[in-house]
Amino acid sequence: MIAQIEQAAAQIAGIVGWETIRIVVGLVGVLVVVLVNALVLTWAERKVSGHIQRRIGPKEVGPFGLLQPIADTIKLLAKELLTPQNVEKPLYLLAPTLIFVPVLVSFIVIPFDSYLQVKDINVGILVILAFSSLSVLSILIAGLGSNNKYSLIGSLRSVAQNIAYEIPLLLSLLAVVLMAGSLSLKDIVEAQKGLWYVVYQPIAFLVFFVASVAETNRTPFDLPEAESELVAGFHTEYSGMRFALFFLAEYTNMFIVSAMITTFFLGGYGGPILPGFVWFFIKTYLLVFVFLWFRWTFPRVRFDQLLNVSWKLLIPLSLLNLLVTGGILKI
Amino acid sequence: MSGLTNPAAIIKGAYSLIVGLGVTIKAFFRPVVTSQYPREVIDISPRFRGHTKLVGDPENPERTLCIVCGMCQKSCPSGAIKKVEGEKKEGEKKKTLTTYILDFTTCSQCGICVEVCPTDALAFSADYNPVGFSREDCRYDLVNEYEQRRAL
Amino acid sequence: MVTKISEELKASLKGVDTQEASYERNGYHLTAEAQPGNMADVAGFFKDRTFYLEDMCCVDYGDYLELVYFFNKYSELCRVKVILKVEAEKPVAPSISHIYRITHWYEREIHEFFGVYFEGHPKLIYLFLHEGIDHYPLRKKRVPVPAEDKALLNSLSPETEEDAFFVNLGPQHPSTHGVLRVIVKMDGEYILSADPVLGYLHRMHEKMAENRSYLQFLPNPARIDYPGALLLNLAHVTTVEKLCGIEVPERAQYVRTITCELNRIASHLLWFGAFPADLGALTPFLYAFDDREQILDILEDITGSRLTYCYFRFGGLYNDVDDVFVDKTKAFVKRMRERFDVYEKLVTGNVIFVNRAKGTGIFKQADTISYGCTGPFVRSTGIPFDMRKAEPYAVYDQIDFQIPTGTVGDNMDRYNVRMTEMEMSLRIIEQAIAKLPSGPYKAEKVPKKLKPPKGDIYNAVESSRGEAGVYVVSDESDTPYRMRWRVPSYSNLMTFPSLAEGTLIADAIATLGSYDIVVPEIDR
Repeated sequence: MIAQIEQAAAQIAGIVGWETIRIVVGLVGVLVVVLVNALVLTWAERKVSGHIQRRIGPKEVGPFGLLQPIADTIKLLAKELLTPQNVEKPLYLLAPTLIFVPVLVSFIVIPFDSYLQVKDINVGILVILAFSSLSVLSILIAGLGSNNKYSLIGSLRSVAQNIAYEIPLLLSLLAVVLMAGSLSLKDIVEAQKGLWYVVYQPIAFLVFFVASVAETNRTPFDLPEAESELVAGFHTEYSGMRFALFFLAEYTNMFIVSAMITTFFLGGYGGPILPGFVWFFIKTYLLVFVFLWFRWTFPRVRFDQLLNVSWKLLIPLSLLNLLVTGGILKI
Repeated sequence: MSGLTNPAAIIKGAYSLIVGLGVTIKAFFRPVVTSQYPREVIDISPRFRGHTKLVGDPENPERTLCIVCGMCQKSCPSGAIKKVEGEKKEGEKKKTLTTYILDFTTCSQCGICVEVCPTDALAFSADYNPVGFSREDCRYDLVNEYEQRRAL
Repeated sequence: MVTKISEELKASLKGVDTQEASYERNGYHLTAEAQPGNMADVAGFFKDRTFYLEDMCCVDYGDYLELVYFFNKYSELCRVKVILKVEAEKPVAPSISHIYRITHWYEREIHEFFGVYFEGHPKLIYLFLHEGIDHYPLRKKRVPVPAEDKALLNSLSPETEEDAFFVNLGPQHPSTHGVLRVIVKMDGEYILSADPVLGYLHRMHEKMAENRSYLQFLPNPARIDYPGALLLNLAHVTTVEKLCGIEVPERAQYVRTITCELNRIASHLLWFGAFPADLGALTPFLYAFDDREQILDILEDITGSRLTYCYFRFGGLYNDVDDVFVDKTKAFVKRMRERFDVYEKLVTGNVIFVNRAKGTGIFKQADTISYGCTGPFVRSTGIPFDMRKAEPYAVYDQIDFQIPTGTVGDNMDRYNVRMTEMEMSLRIIEQAIAKLPSGPYKAEKVPKKLKPPKGDIYNAVESSRGEAGVYVVSDESDTPYRMRWRVPSYSNLMTFPSLAEGTLIADAIATLGSYDIVVPEIDR
């Protein structure tokens, strides 16, 4: 069986090259990770919120409610895909699919282990940051295409929030880049072999963490999708699987951002005894747990306060941090 | 946020957030306080107000203490007691109850019927999960229910 | 005080007849009869002397309608009843809505239930009932709505402006705490005007009272204000006891106090869960309900119900309490004190929460008289007005407790006042449990068919939202001639449009949450 697969692979490699096969296999693996992650996170969110609130989360469907995400998926697939009458059809239909593209591209450069990276682009950070800005575009398209004034307001709020918080994201990363001396993610992980960057750059770590909570639209910065506020957000007009895609994108975003924090500050796949990717997943999911923990503890920040936190607190802090890092490194 | 240029306020604010996180993580590791109703049977306090039930005569368990005076029906504020009928049996001084229909959908468990009954023939039951598929299932025939309880 | 007011009234306004009334018998100190011509002057007189309008209602006496106004002071108890007789055929009365703003709503309500037309009212449209109703419900005989009045019935026609952006907050909305609909006119993120629409939960409790005896009406107050059911139960029961002159034994008074304070804590815990939920923190709700379960278990053991209690009877209680209750209550008090620490850490100290709540929804002390606000709402503006101290009932005069007040009147102050009130309630319960006497739990010789003597009475208690009052007019039969419920959420909610104007919608929702309104109370 294995011999046959190897033969077939060698034949295809003759035509397109080993590198292409590697990339295709990597992309399939990335898709699997994304989907499994979404399933795990929907279950984990409900269980974690349940236990924080002194109650059991899902427990009926499968042992410990483990099959709950499957039940949710079946329910969402079976729902009617309502398309309201006056929506801009191309924009409306494009938005849920477009929201996945930047996330999947960002997965290409994340090193799950020293050999488990789809492609080590030497400007990896730029790729990730550029594509995460693209996700803002899909939110805007969703709001515009919905032909609904509430969705428009919600998506504009979301766009303003995303843009405001990208800057501290970038600035805190620059400090890490200065220390590692390279934009490639693998090099940054390798440079943390001695001591993780979180020890050298605590402020950058905190700024990056807070900015990433805002980037993924999680509480306390989840005004765009606030339930008890008036405006239901950019995904008001979406139902069924399209709505599920938005939430899938949010969970995947959470994973990406935690993976980024792990790579830049917590040493990536480094760690004793256990294989690298196990450490990677442990660290990433611990950070995801912190995201869930935040959601069920804090109230929401008001919109003007949200923008104030970014412009008046995070940006000056990260700029200062960058200056100090640069000063210490070069002197 | 007014304290943004004030580092002490920022540190204090951040500390308050961490304290809040500490509260929730402590709760995360403590046991759940919910009871798995209906799988778990709950202890009901003896004074719980379920629907009313008839109390049997301790000297003659075949009949209830009810003398069919109709006071409960007259004083019910919601008109939930629909039919109270009885007949006078041979050799008995008081009437015996034959039909007692309680429409539980309009009962507010106020206890006035239990209170005004001159012979204390009504009491509250501990039935905390009555279910039915239609309104008819909630029209209880208390005499039937008494007979069923007696048969047990 | 009373004689002074009476003299001043007679001196300054002609045509006003005053008469001193017996407080023990009637619940008010002074009656004054005004004429349509000088009603506005009478209202102005009371406003100048910082009286607030406690209640305004109407009683149908067959050949004339009587409008009854109750004025009272925050600083000391001086209740004045002003009556204004209008004819039954085509009742017309002057509106005092330019003096007391709360009458905007009171007059709309009286108009739709009795048919009284108020001259000078800016917008006399229906408040609770729907526009198609063809008679005036609370009249004793069926009086149809005349054709020319039907033009007034069309209540809600939002102006069709080009730039107007109308949004409905409710009636189904997680943050309106009940079935309340607010029509909000927005300009981007800011609110230009907010207009509450009521009546979704109107169940005619006041009409029901006229068709049931005093005893049969007992389950109803619990449905009027369901979180604080025992408190309204107490209002009803003490009113009738005062009217009939029934003496309640000591033990029953103490148990009434203890259970009412437990209910007050339960009601405040419900609010404590819902308020951060409006702001996005969903966890304190569950923690508050965990504590609330303890209270509900204690109260279930003695009353048999968990939410809509029907425990008090005229002259005492339905059944006695036992030692298990005493022990459980003591254990609960101890446990609750520790829980306050958790709440402090999770919510009160949280910087995000403080920044949302501080400085928003500021209500000035000077406006409270015009609206007649009561309860934690008015205490947060700095006025220490609490019916338990102003007009002590049950055993509150024998227990030592303080009234918490705020300073600014913003959302954070209302929050702090309620949290401190919970601690005060724990102190009251502790002291009352320690002093609980033995004895009978019910007065003897209370007639089964209660027929109070002729007359009227107003009696108020401090419910968890403010002053809940009952005005009963008795005609010697066993059903009340008129029973009017004065509810605190009504006058508190009236301030919302003025508070919400010009604010962000996020702040308006937080403010609405901090009011702790219960819509079934408003709609009755």
